[in-house]
Amino acid sequence: MTDVRPDLRFARQAALPGFGREGQRRLAAARVVVVGAGGLGSAVLPVLVAAGVGEVVVVDGDVVDETNLHRQTLHSADDVGRPKADSAVASLEPHAAPGALVRGVGLMLDASTAPQVLAGATLLVDATDSLPVRYLLDDAAAAAGIPLVWGSATGYAGQVGVAAAPGPRWRDLFPVEPAEDAVATCAVSGVLPSLCTTIGGLMATEVLKLLSGVGRPLVGRVLVVDALSATVREIEYLPADPPGPTGTETRMTDDHDVTVEEVSDLITDGADVQLVDVREPWEAEIASLPGSTLIPLGSLESRAGELDKDRPVIAYCHGGVRSADAAERLRAAGFDARSMKGGIDRWSRRVDPSVPRY
Amino acid sequence: MADEVAVTVRYFAAAAEAAGRDEEVLEIEPTAAALRRVLAERYGAPMTRVLEVGSLLVDGVVTRDPDRPIRSKVDVLPPFAGG
Repeated sequence: MTDVRPDLRFARQAALPGFGREGQRRLAAARVVVVGAGGLGSAVLPVLVAAGVGEVVVVDGDVVDETNLHRQTLHSADDVGRPKADSAVASLEPHAAPGALVRGVGLMLDASTAPQVLAGATLLVDATDSLPVRYLLDDAAAAAGIPLVWGSATGYAGQVGVAAAPGPRWRDLFPVEPAEDAVATCAVSGVLPSLCTTIGGLMATEVLKLLSGVGRPLVGRVLVVDALSATVREIEYLPADPPGPTGTETRMTDDHDVTVEEVSDLITDGADVQLVDVREPWEAEIASLPGSTLIPLGSLESRAGELDKDRPVIAYCHGGVRSADAAERLRAAGFDARSMKGGIDRWSRRVDPSVPRY
Repeated sequence: MADEVAVTVRYFAAAAEAAGRDEEVLEIEPTAAALRRVLAERYGAPMTRVLEVGSLLVDGVVTRDPDRPIRSKVDVLPPFAGG
């Protein structure tokens, strides 16, 4: 085997405008949890692994079935009866960059397994055919303040979308979880194999955009692909009426909060504080506070070492929910950490209107 | 009863199959409830099933309020599953 030089391996994506070495570094620092190693997973996973995502976790509690083989190209006939997570990892590992991890988790995702499986994730991908999993992941992503990229493919039609704060969530599109037998799946309706490739490819693109910070993510929009007519339509949507049960910015305030005015005074006085932006790269591109360090919430634990325990930390996000979570986690790790109440959105309204709102 | 207005209705996936088209303009009383009535009358049981489990996006907002007024467009979509 020849040595792979990292600078050559990723040269063609690092050369992209806006992507660069920084984009590559963000990919390498990310932990992406992909639920579902079926048709969509077979399209999403090889891209993420080859592109240099630092850790890819494949979650699937199913075993390979002969009816999967026409579209689930991670698995071959020899794998029939084998756990999909194992078979997927075996297929993917040869494509991983040196130092990158591909890990399999042979569990069905449910409310009891979710916390351990999703811990520390930077971003979640729903590549399953299961609506209960979709709702579970939407809730988990909203609670953790990390993005969810989802897709579906049934028959000749597929859909793809992104749920990421402060944009609307899956629950804003379908507020009420339908009974399981009310919805068609490919087990009943069949599915065109190349449709999984199309939808999975769109999903992988959204993951790479969100991680690297390039472009405009598919937030508040759904792409609906019709393979028969070769058309793509876009559905734009806003938060549902009434809003979903979690993810709203109504957390109780406490002594660990600091107001935007107080933060402004601290900065003006030259106080020795560490300002930490716990949002995603694409949000920081739109607006950020001067002198702050970007550490997205999902990578907080792995990157907390970059912060100085002897100096106070002030975390901020868009509206103050993720930063409250971050400050709590940092305090548990021994930091003097507080959260800026109302986030950069309130900063823009009360302190500096030249900071763009989004 | 409110005056009828032209509403652009887009159908997705099973809704498009039930309607036999992707999009049409309907002259209706501009409320979600009136649209549901018209769609059920026109397209029968297949559309009724979509309306039971799916979402009506009224001018971009999912609503279950039958009285919500429609300005100009509605998207009818069933929940998406399959992979």
